Amino acid sequence: MSGDLGILTQGMRKSYGRIRALRGIDLEVRRGEIFGFLGPNGAGKTTAIRCLLDLIRRDSGTARVLGIDPHKDPVAVRTRTGYLPGEMQLDENLTGEQQLHFLNDLRGGMADWSFVRQLADRLELDLRRPIRNLSKGNKIKIGVVQALMHRPELLMLDEPTFGLDPLMQQEVLRLLKEARAEGATVFFSSHVLSEVQATAERVAFIRKGLIVEVAETESLIARAVRRTHIYFRQPVDLGVLAHLQGVTILSRDDSRSVVLQVEGEMDGLIKALASLPVSDLETERPSLEDVFLAYYEGGGGEA
Amino acid sequence: MVTIFRYAMRRSRGQVLGWGIGMALLGWMMVSVYDSLAGQEEALIDLVSVYPKELMAFFGSAEGMTSMFTPEGFLSLEFLSLAPVILGIYSVLMGSGLLVSDEEKGTLDLILAHPVTRTSLLGGRACAFAAATAGILAIIWLGFMTAMTRSSMEIGGLELLRPLLSLFAVLLLFGALALFLSMLLPSRRLAATVSGLLLVASYFVTSLARINENLEQIARFSPLNYYQSEKAFQHFNVQWLSGLLGVALLFVAVAWWSFQRRDIRVGGEGGWQVPKLVRRWRAARTQG
Repeated sequence: MSGDLGILTQGMRKSYGRIRALRGIDLEVRRGEIFGFLGPNGAGKTTAIRCLLDLIRRDSGTARVLGIDPHKDPVAVRTRTGYLPGEMQLDENLTGEQQLHFLNDLRGGMADWSFVRQLADRLELDLRRPIRNLSKGNKIKIGVVQALMHRPELLMLDEPTFGLDPLMQQEVLRLLKEARAEGATVFFSSHVLSEVQATAERVAFIRKGLIVEVAETESLIARAVRRTHIYFRQPVDLGVLAHLQGVTILSRDDSRSVVLQVEGEMDGLIKALASLPVSDLETERPSLEDVFLAYYEGGGGEA
Repeated sequence: MVTIFRYAMRRSRGQVLGWGIGMALLGWMMVSVYDSLAGQEEALIDLVSVYPKELMAFFGSAEGMTSMFTPEGFLSLEFLSLAPVILGIYSVLMGSGLLVSDEEKGTLDLILAHPVTRTSLLGGRACAFAAATAGILAIIWLGFMTAMTRSSMEIGGLELLRPLLSLFAVLLLFGALALFLSMLLPSRRLAATVSGLLLVASYFVTSLARINENLEQIARFSPLNYYQSEKAFQHFNVQWLSGLLGVALLFVAVAWWSFQRRDIRVGGEGGWQVPKLVRRWRAARTQG
């Protein structure tokens, strides 16, 4: 069963002394999907990823990566995985190309070098420059290239766009989508919600070491609270809207326009509006940020 | 492991050349000094005889000053007696940074995210350290042999190899000790400091034990007690060499054991590893 999944964790716990970084996380990432792992700083995202690569050892619980226990056979996991650390540090004495050659040699020279150059070109990365002269963003680009260059089955990326300019962020997200299109599973952590919204098919929220929600990105948005402006051709009785389930009137203007807060699906509201002379309707699509904040402020999923 | 070894060797090129050439130049100078002392033996013996024996003990020639006018005695007095301390600094710095240097810089995370076992990482790096140390000693040996072609100092190549072999074992031991301590202590700096202090303490205890019988028992536990400089020319004690190498291997083995069980820290983190290891050992016993 776990072999059908890219990642499986059950009750995975990890403590650093008295600090309980992971308090029993359960996660299933399907093969071939892009999975966003969202949470604020210190929530446990990096700890979870590092446990999955056996860089740190879980205290208890189960973990399988591509069906393999990373603690029992870390080399098998890492052979098939590309990893981007959250804190990208490289050997300052090497050039970008030398660094990538070193990392490729650790993989037994699996990478196709023309693909490496193609990735570098797309990320506008000069591989001839010494790493000590590179900006943080360029170091992250080297990290992205090394994670992708051997076309791994699974990508585990810890904040892959953090520190990149918006254009490069888009390019990295495009690369992730392309990797998925070629069959790779992409698991990436972020606290930038818009990029998860634009890229991931499913998302898990982690807070204080616990997964508080796993959902399809779209369904999560659909469940969110959204703000709707409705304009009428003539004054109307708004009582019909006030009694709809999940609908709250926030403000009104001479009964010709109204601002509503709608929780959940819009179906009931739209059906009610069918009997009214609507001239215009605007709905603000909730960002994942709103969803995220709604969860956190409401203590959603708190253990 | 071969890749790790190759890259570690490439990274230590500067160290090998720097320490090797530096020490070879020092040796070259000593050979020149030896030539300039020819014919002044009696005056020098008079001069040295007024030195306190406590001072001479540190040069390993308290028993008989006349030996300093033999090529072997002079080399031992002026170079080999101090070499473990001078090169010990290199050894301790390299040993303590073998793994922890990358860990503190945050680069170990990325390396170990590749298909590399911790055993092969440690093995490759440890072999590179041994090879780099051997490289430094080879440069020193070559320097001496070159200098001696123009000097009245005559020591055969194989003869000179013996004390250098003993020095090699001492350097490996202190490097391995530093590696072991780096697995237990919160930082590389602390591991290097403690190892360096142990090196200096070993030097003092071994030297002072030559003139103070009360220290002989303690000196038995000092690695430098089994270092052979002048003695190696006369009778090379293979057991002592094996003992030093054996202890070095033991330290590497314990460091490996600890490295297998610990978390890889990311840059800036630090902590005492002993309590964690004890906790894990107890947990394993309970589960067993």
